[in-house]
Amino acid sequence: MRLSLNKRFVYRISYIVYRAAGRKLILFAACGIFFAACLFGCSKKQLPKVHIQKLKNSRYQLIVDGRPYIVKGVCYNPVPIGKNHEYDWWNDPAKPWITDGKLMQEMGINTIRIYEPAKNPEAVKKVIRDLYQLYGIRTILGNWLGFWEYPSPLYGDKAFQEKISKEVLETVDLYKDEPGVLLWVLGNENNYSCLGRVNPWSTPEIESEPDPQKKNALRYKIYYSFVNRLAQEIHKLDIDHPVALGNGELTGLEAARDYCPDIDLVACIIYRGKSFGPLFRSLRMTFDRPILLVEIGADCYDAYLKKEDQNMQAFFLESQWRQIYENLADAQKGEGNCIGAVTFEWTDEWWKHNEYSAEGWNVHDTGSNWSSGSYYFDIKAENNMNMNEEWFGIVALSEEKVNGLYKRIPRKAYYVLRDFWKNPAKN
Amino acid sequence: MKKFLMILAALTIAAPVFAAETAAEGPKEFGVYSDKGARENHFIPSGWIGDYGDVKMVDQSTTNPQSGATCVEFTYNAKKSQGNGWAGVYWQNPANNWGSKPNSGFDLSGMNKLTFWARGAKGGEVIQEFFVGGIGYEPKALYPDSLIKVAVGPVELTDTWQQYSINLSGRDLSYVIGGFGWVTNADVNPQGCTFYIDNVKFEKEEGLAPTAKQAQEMPFYVFADRSFSKNHFIPSGWMGDYGDLRIDTGSKENPYLGDTCLKITYSGQATQGARWAGMCWQHPANNWGNVDAGYDLSRATKLTFWARGEKGGERIEEFKIGGLMGEFSDSDSAVIGPVILNKDWTQYTIDLKGKDMSYIIGGFCWAANVDNNPNGAVFYLDEIKFE
Repeated sequence: MRLSLNKRFVYRISYIVYRAAGRKLILFAACGIFFAACLFGCSKKQLPKVHIQKLKNSRYQLIVDGRPYIVKGVCYNPVPIGKNHEYDWWNDPAKPWITDGKLMQEMGINTIRIYEPAKNPEAVKKVIRDLYQLYGIRTILGNWLGFWEYPSPLYGDKAFQEKISKEVLETVDLYKDEPGVLLWVLGNENNYSCLGRVNPWSTPEIESEPDPQKKNALRYKIYYSFVNRLAQEIHKLDIDHPVALGNGELTGLEAARDYCPDIDLVACIIYRGKSFGPLFRSLRMTFDRPILLVEIGADCYDAYLKKEDQNMQAFFLESQWRQIYENLADAQKGEGNCIGAVTFEWTDEWWKHNEYSAEGWNVHDTGSNWSSGSYYFDIKAENNMNMNEEWFGIVALSEEKVNGLYKRIPRKAYYVLRDFWKNPAKN
Repeated sequence: MKKFLMILAALTIAAPVFAAETAAEGPKEFGVYSDKGARENHFIPSGWIGDYGDVKMVDQSTTNPQSGATCVEFTYNAKKSQGNGWAGVYWQNPANNWGSKPNSGFDLSGMNKLTFWARGAKGGEVIQEFFVGGIGYEPKALYPDSLIKVAVGPVELTDTWQQYSINLSGRDLSYVIGGFGWVTNADVNPQGCTFYIDNVKFEKEEGLAPTAKQAQEMPFYVFADRSFSKNHFIPSGWMGDYGDLRIDTGSKENPYLGDTCLKITYSGQATQGARWAGMCWQHPANNWGNVDAGYDLSRATKLTFWARGEKGGERIEEFKIGGLMGEFSDSDSAVIGPVILNKDWTQYTIDLKGKDMSYIIGGFCWAANVDNNPNGAVFYLDEIKFE
């Protein structure tokens, strides 16, 4: 029998005591010392506070403080009417997160997603703590990875990479000890930049490649390798929280499988209307990681009939959440690789349709910004433009103020999801 | 008197039971067309669609009817009178009802299939689809068919009468205004065709189960040749700068195989201001996910096609299958690209392994843009097929 060093030491002490005293009494004492040492000295290493557990049947669960955790989240950016994305709501004297947190808790929400925290760490910590301590709501913290940097995110540039790495690691270091933090999300839909669809970037090596498919492959390699190095660095700094790869759809994940193996889960942005289709199975076959849907949702404005339609929004959201539950680890069917989702979004944002017009921030615009046949009720709108960016909130904003805050009016989706989460098996 | 009251009471109790049994049994047939002027004709062939000028109808043809004294004879001359390249006829109730007339049509809830007889004048005539229902969905009407269009086809006719059947089990037949119809096109009948229809009726068949989509045999063609009867998708989905596009579905300029290929001309003029354009092969035509149709292509592991550029160097951003999203979305999608075309025919493959191909309405698609084709592009496609 081979014993570890600790065990050998304890065994030796026990043996000496055994030889020195009466046999029976000392036998008991020796055994006691041995087991106590085993218990305290050789006990298992403590598990991270938040981690992914792969079950024997290859399904995935998110474990938080030792218990399974289904992410029932919302994207949170409580910009008031008349302000735009630059507004520092973290320091809003009306403390919107206090009012919102209570409503969220009543609905069953347990997580918010922040795309990127503000520059003032004390304000950020205050929000995270308030939500966690008052309502048990945890926070997903993200980082854009310089996606919106002018002129473009230069992922092939060493200096750019170092700058972003420093920023990300500082964020992790600042907030990793906050009990309310759930996990980190790196990027959002940055993978689309590798296809040149948005914020295109390049390097001399990419430019010298004549084959456009190989150009894209090179960009994927550079980008996902960069994210992988970030994930490795975060793991060294913080063992308590998983690192997620933010990704638009499943696009590019076959490359992520090769170049980004150190991420713990994928965090996808998916707008597919009523059905996710084969999403969960496709992911399993492409890049076998658990999935958190960090943006799903539906707007509640019928661009064809030109009127608010809360039924339409509630219909899509309920259908989406039903499929999320069908693909959780403990579901009877499905792939078992989903750990939850984050609905876009908590409140409407009135600045989004025309973000550069301050006048427009005071108007709840009904203009559409994009088109999707998946949201088919109003696809017959002019030029098929049916997605209304200012109408995605599951809570509407009234122009009436209460205690310095625009009054929150839960929409039908709020109640439908609340009832669904109360008893998903019944629904 | 007492005896009379007892009989009356017994009759009062028994009568509804008897009536209910009769109602439950119901009629086993409901005619669409049997003979000219027959009482059983409940629908009128009034809905002429597409190139209606290309169609001639004789609704009392005595040329060898399948039964009775007459059948309906159609002649389609494929001259594209209205510029569509296709034509068809709907049997409606009442005549010319496109879903605007309330309280019309029939409640055929007891029926579960439609049968009809058809033959070609020579044999080999191809009818793209025979169908039931679907009136008032596109464009949306106030009083549409309760039955979403159910179709069979393409059907290659023989010169002898054959009976065909459309399974309607499990479908909503509570308000039927489009009792029957057919549509065909000039591609599959370039010289036109003459064919006959007879004895069209709804029927009730005990124990008939709803049809699940059957997995199609491979290879399964999107396009082989212009006149090939088994081209299963239609290049009807024009996207972006659709004004920049032209397609010749019967180009004889050096086809890869057979006597024709597809020639696509993209002018790159940005006519609609989108600076990109594309074309999607759909089933049925113009289905953006709003019609429950398409094919189960679960047996496919790849899609292959041949392509060449007129000059070489034309850049196509994407070749794609699936990905149409709507109420009835494609079950999956797969894509390759960007592809720079060679001047010579080159085969390309889209890998479908691991994809859910059980419900495909968008059989093939391409997209290109002005930025990479500032002077437009002319390119050719051939032998597009699932394998």
